[in-house]
Amino acid sequence: MKKIMNLYILFFLMLFLVALFRPYAFFYGLQRGSLYSLVALPLALILGIVGLLNLAHGDLLTLGLYLGYILFNQLRFDPIFSVIVIAPILFIIGFVVYKLTIERVLKSHHLNLLLITFGVSITLVEFINLLWTSRPRNVYVPYATKSINIFGINVGAYEFLYIAASIGVLLLIVFILKKTRFGQAAFAVGQNPKGAAIVGINVKLVYTITFSLATAMIAIAASLMIPRVSIFPHLGGPFTMRSFCLTAMAGLGNLPGIVLSGITLGLAEAIVQSIPGYSGWSDLVFFGVLILVIALKGYRRAVR
Amino acid sequence: MKKLLVFLSLIFVLSAFAQKPIKIGAILPLSDITGRQAANAMKLAVKEINDAGGILGRPVELIIVDDEMKPEKGAAAVDKLATVDKVDFFVGGMSSGVHLAQIPILKKYKKITVWIGAASYKCEEAIGADADWYFHLHPWDYLQGESYAIGWKAIVERYPQVKIEKIFLAYEEGAFGTASFKSYLDEFELAKQGTGVWAGLMKDLKGAPFKSAALGGGDYRAMLLQAKQYDPDLFIWAGYDADAVPMLTQAKEIGFAPKLFVGAPPGWPADFGKNPLSHGVVLYGMWAPALKDVSPIARHFWDAYIKEFNEEPATYFAPLGYTNIYFLVEAIKKAGTLEDKAIIKALREIEYESPVGGILKISPSRIIKNQGFRAQKILQWQNGTQHVIWPFEYATAQLIYPFPGWSGR
Amino acid sequence: MRKLSFIIGAVIFAVFLPTFADMYLIHVASSIMIFMCLALSWDMMLRTGQLSFGTAGFFGLGAYAAIIAVDDFSVSPVMSIFIGAIFAALIALGLGVAVLRLREMYFAITTLALTSVFMVLARNLSNLTGGAAGKILFHAIFDGDPKKIYWLILSFAIVVIALSEVFERTRIKYAISSIRNDELVAKSCGINIFKYLLFVFIITSAIQGAAGAIYAQQYAFVEPESTFSSNFLLLPVAMALVGGIYSTPGPIVGAIVLGFASEYLKLLMPYGHLIIYGIIIILTIIFLRKGVYGTILDKVRSK
Repeated sequence: MKKIMNLYILFFLMLFLVALFRPYAFFYGLQRGSLYSLVALPLALILGIVGLLNLAHGDLLTLGLYLGYILFNQLRFDPIFSVIVIAPILFIIGFVVYKLTIERVLKSHHLNLLLITFGVSITLVEFINLLWTSRPRNVYVPYATKSINIFGINVGAYEFLYIAASIGVLLLIVFILKKTRFGQAAFAVGQNPKGAAIVGINVKLVYTITFSLATAMIAIAASLMIPRVSIFPHLGGPFTMRSFCLTAMAGLGNLPGIVLSGITLGLAEAIVQSIPGYSGWSDLVFFGVLILVIALKGYRRAVR
Repeated sequence: MKKLLVFLSLIFVLSAFAQKPIKIGAILPLSDITGRQAANAMKLAVKEINDAGGILGRPVELIIVDDEMKPEKGAAAVDKLATVDKVDFFVGGMSSGVHLAQIPILKKYKKITVWIGAASYKCEEAIGADADWYFHLHPWDYLQGESYAIGWKAIVERYPQVKIEKIFLAYEEGAFGTASFKSYLDEFELAKQGTGVWAGLMKDLKGAPFKSAALGGGDYRAMLLQAKQYDPDLFIWAGYDADAVPMLTQAKEIGFAPKLFVGAPPGWPADFGKNPLSHGVVLYGMWAPALKDVSPIARHFWDAYIKEFNEEPATYFAPLGYTNIYFLVEAIKKAGTLEDKAIIKALREIEYESPVGGILKISPSRIIKNQGFRAQKILQWQNGTQHVIWPFEYATAQLIYPFPGWSGR
Repeated sequence: MRKLSFIIGAVIFAVFLPTFADMYLIHVASSIMIFMCLALSWDMMLRTGQLSFGTAGFFGLGAYAAIIAVDDFSVSPVMSIFIGAIFAALIALGLGVAVLRLREMYFAITTLALTSVFMVLARNLSNLTGGAAGKILFHAIFDGDPKKIYWLILSFAIVVIALSEVFERTRIKYAISSIRNDELVAKSCGINIFKYLLFVFIITSAIQGAAGAIYAQQYAFVEPESTFSSNFLLLPVAMALVGGIYSTPGPIVGAIVLGFASEYLKLLMPYGHLIIYGIIIILTIIFLRKGVYGTILDKVRSK
């Protein structure tokens, strides 16, 4: 417990120092990092409970973005509110994908699960490409480019929504896992599927609902991103990769850790980008920090 | 009447097919909009040529292979076209990375190759000076930089209020963007000594890389802040279509509105013109749909393409693909034979009026002997349409200067 | 006995393929064998229980080392393949000490992150690597003679297959599979886990490095985005799993099936052929759980 406290103190100290010396990088890093964790949380939920690394995660995000684009383009649906339409649709898509593919291979080697999501990913991306071509689509709403003044610094206001949403989604997941009957069952399944089955939990149902629910949660990230990104078929891949990175950095089952990791990596990236002449190295810092944290954790485990 | 026409064309087709067709092999990335539309435009050109009776009394057959944007697939496609389909000519092209892998294979066959993609100077180095069978239509990256200097000089003369002394170049960190920056740096060194195309124009240059949204990036704010601080007369970004709108969004957010906001991506996103942020954005490109109002061949291509495929040509690779086929076919016609030497000679001599806008004529570039287009055009988005600003003989509108800024959008 | 004659027949067929096949088939077969070697090396690592996502990284390292060796140090192209392999092995030795203590997804993600690190280095150390534009050689290996390149890749593939079989048949196999099945038991049997893991990691990385070096010499260029492309990770993994993991024939079968499928599908179906490719992967996993080879083996045994 004390160790975790130390970690938090260290984290906030880091935030403070960055804010003091590189205020722009502070805000940008905070916003981007929150977006990364907002996308990563559903992936981590699936990985923690179903034990499945979903390589199609980012592509489901792409699909959500296209749905929002259509809603805006055809029906003038405001992007932020489109979540109420996208979430149920993604829930159904998640359900169908799960029943058609993943459930059928649950009992075989766990790498088969990984590969089947890779198959789903290719199929999804190419299907999107065939429907909408590779030309990017954009949605423009004026409020997404407003900026506000904080301590004399002019920053975009819209992306602060990412911070609120990532904390909101984190609380939502924790609430579901702790306070609902489904969540408690899901938690038990995540800890020990065989034991859970013995005490009468319907493991199959828990898996199905967890996967569909987590897919539906992607809609939150999707609806917020609509006015800020270019929507194109291969958008999702890098988000899958980043989500995977955050989950590994936080450690399995550590949901708050994902938000912390996201912000840490976002800040590291933003700081490097803010140094003129060195912004090409930001990826190196992103992955460097990631490797360092994982290696240190692994080393500690080995020592213990 | 209609029946007669059908009958006549049937006879025509039949008699044409009695002859062995002249085979052209095209390699394009079909999953990308550029490659798909270039392939369509090539099919259109071949259809027109065959409807008109083919060449040398023989029909033209076009065989298209997808390179999937993978180097080894693009290279294998060359072998397929050469040995399985036994084509007489190679055309096509898009990505430089794929083309680098194709070059050793193309060198093996030494068939006449007319290429419309691959702008990287590395490709020119790999081809080398001896390849007289190789024709490259797309301007090399450094040629593009030079042509803009010529364009801006002409614009500064015509519009005296325009000032281009401080230039800020934002470039995507991959091969495409870095090559642009490198060529600007080279030109800037020359300009400082008072030589080169930018002499007298460019007084100061600064650059910053960004990670393109197309490759998982999409946060330009750090780079835009640097640009804002520098306060350039001309801000130009070299990236991809996916960067266009997010970059404008973020520029608006931080209040960065340079007098000239220039973009140089190979294509623009769908409905970019409908986006209020697009008004006043200057762009570099080979072609604009508005050319159809000033050039009859561009008009013909535009109408024929829409009639055939029920969609508008979205990138310059469409008219370029059309040009690719016609340029080759015109040369074969002129040569009157399929002999390589005669065709190479004809390719070097003919002048082809292209729907891309301008006369296509071969001349040497830094290394290779057979370079096609050298100049890009300077265009501007005005109220939802791309207009040609320079070259003035194709101009469809006056330059809006300075960039209108963000208020009210 | 039947098995032996089948293997000899297959080798003879492979060796004499260029004498009757067209250039296209030779070219496709060459690239399939490159991917086959990557798939085999990935599977060899997997047999220890370690899931590596670093295939593309070591592939790229080998490619860069080979091109730089030829361009800057005038090494002969054939020698440069060994240099590519040795360079990848050395880096694997250095990194292995640190990362092989990690397990499961932590190992996987670290190797994946290392690939990105290598790519960023290749892009930014432009004096050595040519930067984002990459580096070219004016002449491909053997002056681009596809038959010689084919035989080179074939001999490389035979070496890799033999290595994989050695791993399957010798003492190493027992060590490796006991690590995979239960690390504690392996430890208590006196097996130095770490030594074996490091050994396998170095060998498989060297294979990947050599594959990258051959690929780079065949096409005479390196470029960060193409050379470190995730294709060199995802396709070999898919091949091994579709064919069947934990064996030598599995990845070979998988590489042949998926390699030819992707090449000939696009000729049948110019647009959207990758959808079918994805569906093939999904269906194979659902209906042939142990992969193509594993399922065939089961059928043969149950008869």
